[in-house]
Amino acid sequence: MSNKSAKQNKQTDNRADKLKLYSIGSVVILIGIIVLVNILFDGIFGKSLSFDFSDYGQNTISQPTQDFIDSLPADAHIRIVGLFNRPDNVSGTPYQYIIPLLDDYVKKSDGKITVEYVDLTENPGIITQLDPSNTYDLASNIDNFVIEYNGRLKIIAPIDCYSFDEDRYYSTGVYYITGNNTEYIFTNNMNMLTSNYLCKAYIVSGLKEDGSFYITQILNSMSIDVEELPSSDNFTIPEDCNLLILNGPNADISEKMYVAMSDYLKNGGKIFVAVNFNLKNVTERFERLNLLLNEMNVNIDPALINENDPGYQRSGYTIDHTVTATDSFVEYASVPYIHATYSRSISVYNNPNSGATAVPVLKTSNNATLTEFDNSGNALENSTDTTNQYYVGMFAFGQGYNAAKVFVYGTTNLTSDEYISGYGMNDVNVEFFRSSIRELTSSMSTADINVATKNVDNFSLNSTKVSTSSSTLIMVIFMIFIPVILVGAAVIVYAKRKNL
Amino acid sequence: MLAIFKREFLSYFRSPVGYVAIAIFSFLSGFIFYSQFSTGAVNIGSEVISLRSFFVIIVPIITMGLLADDKKRGTDILYYTTPVSLFSVVVGKVLAAFALFVIMFINVVIHIIVTVGCGGAFGVGAVGTIIVFFFMAFMFISMGLFASAITDNQIVSAIVAFIIILITQLLTVIAGYAGTAASSIASMLGAKTASAYHIGSAVKKAIAWFDPFVKTQDFRLGVFSVSSLVFLVSIGVLFMYLTFRVLEKKRWSQS
Repeated sequence: MSNKSAKQNKQTDNRADKLKLYSIGSVVILIGIIVLVNILFDGIFGKSLSFDFSDYGQNTISQPTQDFIDSLPADAHIRIVGLFNRPDNVSGTPYQYIIPLLDDYVKKSDGKITVEYVDLTENPGIITQLDPSNTYDLASNIDNFVIEYNGRLKIIAPIDCYSFDEDRYYSTGVYYITGNNTEYIFTNNMNMLTSNYLCKAYIVSGLKEDGSFYITQILNSMSIDVEELPSSDNFTIPEDCNLLILNGPNADISEKMYVAMSDYLKNGGKIFVAVNFNLKNVTERFERLNLLLNEMNVNIDPALINENDPGYQRSGYTIDHTVTATDSFVEYASVPYIHATYSRSISVYNNPNSGATAVPVLKTSNNATLTEFDNSGNALENSTDTTNQYYVGMFAFGQGYNAAKVFVYGTTNLTSDEYISGYGMNDVNVEFFRSSIRELTSSMSTADINVATKNVDNFSLNSTKVSTSSSTLIMVIFMIFIPVILVGAAVIVYAKRKNL
Repeated sequence: MLAIFKREFLSYFRSPVGYVAIAIFSFLSGFIFYSQFSTGAVNIGSEVISLRSFFVIIVPIITMGLLADDKKRGTDILYYTTPVSLFSVVVGKVLAAFALFVIMFINVVIHIIVTVGCGGAFGVGAVGTIIVFFFMAFMFISMGLFASAITDNQIVSAIVAFIIILITQLLTVIAGYAGTAASSIASMLGAKTASAYHIGSAVKKAIAWFDPFVKTQDFRLGVFSVSSLVFLVSIGVLFMYLTFRVLEKKRWSQS
């Protein structure tokens, strides 16, 4: 009997062992199948079975972008790098409308566009990989995106991708987003990077100016080829010159240069001038340069601007201040407040023989004064008495399609290496510079791809129906009334059935 | 299966469990709705996605008694002796708990009606979040049912379900720590900094791949991904199978 029992127990143990083995094996196999199926499904169908249900197509590229991508050569490779780890949850962050859209770029680009996210602190080597000469100072661009194509870069900050209520921003300091330009920004930046140089700019050198390293990079990124044009006795402006730049000259132009530039302007030339007031040019009155600019009704005044409005001053200095864009130029930068230091006054010059129109671009407060200097560099007495609004930037243009255009700025904070190296390539001043260049080269540079601004999701309720009392009612009904009723029901049920 | 479904579903309302679960859900969803309503903007999609965070509380309450109670009372013997497949038992119980979730969701439907009545938006994107909510509910119910199958104590069952769901919710955090640990260990074992970084990153990605919350995060932005739903169903089926295996083991160890 005991032998039979032992045999039965052994059989039971064997059966239990087999069952255990079967259970474990089948579960392991099932886990393997599940992982494999999910990986395969995600890899094969993940992109094609992903749909954009957002109200305004926020996460889907539009047809103009698709056309642009299709027009790229099959071997083109645009690399988008987010200089941060991809957030697990983008909702409520500035990346909300960016990251899902970039996924769609990848999905529909057939390998022409790739997107990656690299944390600079974890993988600092990405900086030298993208920007070996450290031109773009990527280390200070954490949280931004870099678009790279054939060694050329564009940097995009998330805030660049949105329109926002500027009035609310200035009054509260909070960005209230009103429009989503993500697709416009990315597509057009890619378009700029992939298009050939369509425009050539010459930067005049030999006028005791400082360097133009950064604006060269900026212009290159705008598909503008840049070359230096030294001042000389044989100064001529090359025929392929689409834009002439005088960046921070501390000496006046020569007679020969004046003649060449004047002819250039008469033939519809485009000139960008940025001067400031510093120790190197305190006695410089730019007489010949003014003769040239006077033809366009603009004049560089031999006077230093003192901003006396504390609201405009930066750190309490009258010579380090903010200037605001005039109404016609507020769109030139995301914030129309430009940082100006040691600025010269730029004024309208009423030349009766000029057919040009000059309009102010940047202005001081109404509480600014000028300090004028004599030819020896000494401040003139009583020169600071007249409190007024002065201009630090002027735009002049002639009549006709291919007429001359001139931007003259009394500050070099838009263009100097010193400023851009300190404030970066995405500073509002640089934005303003880019916009000025776009204006000057608008007939030559790459046409924007017309991608419409998308509305941001709006979940607002009818304001007449949302009040403190209605909110309280909602709270009472949903957080107190319904739960209490249900708990009451639970108590009743418990009381009735506890003895069953 | 229908009989089991009917029995389990009605049992929620023959005991306080169903009412308490709905009351908690009502309070939590009401709190999210009120928080949004008071600001003058209601995003139903965001509310529904946020409600996923409360599965860790609701699901253990609903599932703790599904099998543990039967075991305690000894009524589970019926599953093994009546001509009904154990998988039908599992499916019936999952469906019963799922049906309770549908009842709970009436709260959100009322929120939607109030929102639309107040001029708010309820778009297709929000429908996507609702779909993923139910898929996720199915997955977590399966986990809770498994927890209920491995014990005859409802409290233990609830605690186990709570821990499983909590771990699932914290997978990304856990992945981060595991990645850092793997990277550190690789460095200690002599790997170069770049290699150690890649090892840590690979470990982190491998663990985070299982995070259902990350996979479904973008639904609130209107991104509807079928592969995420397939993942949720897969995990749900896996836990249903685990439950089935536990019951099978019990059946064949009756001698």
